[in-house]
Amino acid sequence: MRDKVHDLSTVVATIPDGAVIGLGGLSMNSVPMALVREIVRQGKKNLTVVALVAGMPIDWLAAVGAVERVITGLVSLEGFGLAQNFRRAVQGGSIAIEEYSEHLLICRLQAQSHRLPFVPTRAGLGTDILKLHSHSRAVREEIDPVTGESYVACSRLPVDIALVHCHEVDRLGNARVNPKLIWMDNELVNAADRTIVSSESIIGTDEFRSEPWRTTYPSFMTESVTCVPWGALPTSMFQVYSHASGFYERYSRACEDERTFITFFNKYIVEPETWQDFLRVNNLGELHKQNEN
Amino acid sequence: MKINDTPQVPGYDCTIDELMVVTFSRALKPDTRAFNGAVSFIPACGFMLARATHAPELVWAAGSIGIDASPTAIPESTLSDGIWQGSTMLANSPFDFWAHAQGARYNTFSFRGAQIDKFGNVNNSVIGQYESPKVRLAGGGGMADLSVMIPRIMLWSTTHTPRTFVDRVDFRSGLGYGDGGDDRQRRGIAGGPVVCVTNLCVFGFHPVTKQMQIETLHPGVSRSDVESATGFNLDSSEKVPPRTARPSDEEIRLLREVIDPGGARKREFA
Repeated sequence: MRDKVHDLSTVVATIPDGAVIGLGGLSMNSVPMALVREIVRQGKKNLTVVALVAGMPIDWLAAVGAVERVITGLVSLEGFGLAQNFRRAVQGGSIAIEEYSEHLLICRLQAQSHRLPFVPTRAGLGTDILKLHSHSRAVREEIDPVTGESYVACSRLPVDIALVHCHEVDRLGNARVNPKLIWMDNELVNAADRTIVSSESIIGTDEFRSEPWRTTYPSFMTESVTCVPWGALPTSMFQVYSHASGFYERYSRACEDERTFITFFNKYIVEPETWQDFLRVNNLGELHKQNEN
Repeated sequence: MKINDTPQVPGYDCTIDELMVVTFSRALKPDTRAFNGAVSFIPACGFMLARATHAPELVWAAGSIGIDASPTAIPESTLSDGIWQGSTMLANSPFDFWAHAQGARYNTFSFRGAQIDKFGNVNNSVIGQYESPKVRLAGGGGMADLSVMIPRIMLWSTTHTPRTFVDRVDFRSGLGYGDGGDDRQRRGIAGGPVVCVTNLCVFGFHPVTKQMQIETLHPGVSRSDVESATGFNLDSSEKVPPRTARPSDEEIRLLREVIDPGGARKREFA
């Protein structure tokens, strides 16, 4: 059997410029931030990012001009304000936003997962979201000929590579999220042509065999895996660590001044050599460990 | 968004955030089955308060995932995992969530935005022209979905100004009564907004035109205060709207000591 475990830089090196990336996680939960930081460090260009509800990762990619198109339902740092680099890039025209609501985007991914022409929903009826797509017709109002009901048909959305973070993997590429609390990651994995997984730890395949009901992604769905403890920080990994409020605060403060931001960004996010260095420089790790939940 | 000091309500022993939570809570029906999205501190407190007072059977899926949660502290993000504490179930599948939403098993949805228009439509996408926006906002998230799927819509705003309450939203991220009247019904969409709780007043919706109208005024706020803080014309009927009811001592105690001792609800105030 092929060993799918590689180091962080090797798995990220397989992502070509211009790729359509499906970014896992939701808002401040379980985003594969170590993979995102490595994309920043490797200087990828012209990426399209599909992210249902995101903030910090999109802002990092926007800060270095790695992304040219964002397909999303919402981008913000929530209680810490707007994602300012993203906001500036969209207002300045350097990033194109393809905006959907959550369920329209989920339906597009489900259509892609099943390789079907479309999946129907009632989401978005009567809103301006549908008007944004009147030219591409990626989502469009139609009438069911049998019942006469209106629905929105959501065309499939091709995704080249899904990036997701999980708790445990084995060398064959089986992956577990403990517990399986991942909002849309499954849709991204099923929709994407290939999937790169970052994981908190590596365990033996015998452990997967002894509790097979706990497996989230089967090995045939994953192309490569990399072991990055604390790999979702500053976002959270449920039952292991919480999101890092202090980092979010410092980051959103640094974003206020566009001129000094890049110095902050280089020093604290880009320049630390390894993920361990990044954690150390930003005082991330043990401090964020979750207690009983 | 920090925890800010909020103004005292004149004549009431509480602050404006507390009056808003209590008013929101009282507007919740006992059969409420609700969930919350991002930056929803007022509703999260309101659901817990209603459950502790007049609506013991209220269902609340915290962060849309933690069913029947009872967090001891409300985290900085109302979507983060800390809010799931004490749940009877972590609903881990978006298939289940969207079935419960689209099938109207959930019946109540609360959302806010940068702009709200007279028919309760909400904008959280852009200020200005869509293609060359003055401000690119966060986006609507699930607003366009849930405002269509869920019949009972409850709006709130902590920034009652003419910039927030506009005649027409620049972009309709979430659906209220659309163009007003029976527009929503004609599209085959059930229900609509029932209330909008602001920091100045409580709005209801006219039964026929579906336009916002003042239901109650918070203490110290006059009708003309609301008129000048609102960017659309309000129906100026003869009678003076009543004052927003006073929170009970018990409601304030529960809110301060049990539900939100950390004051997360104040995060919504600039």
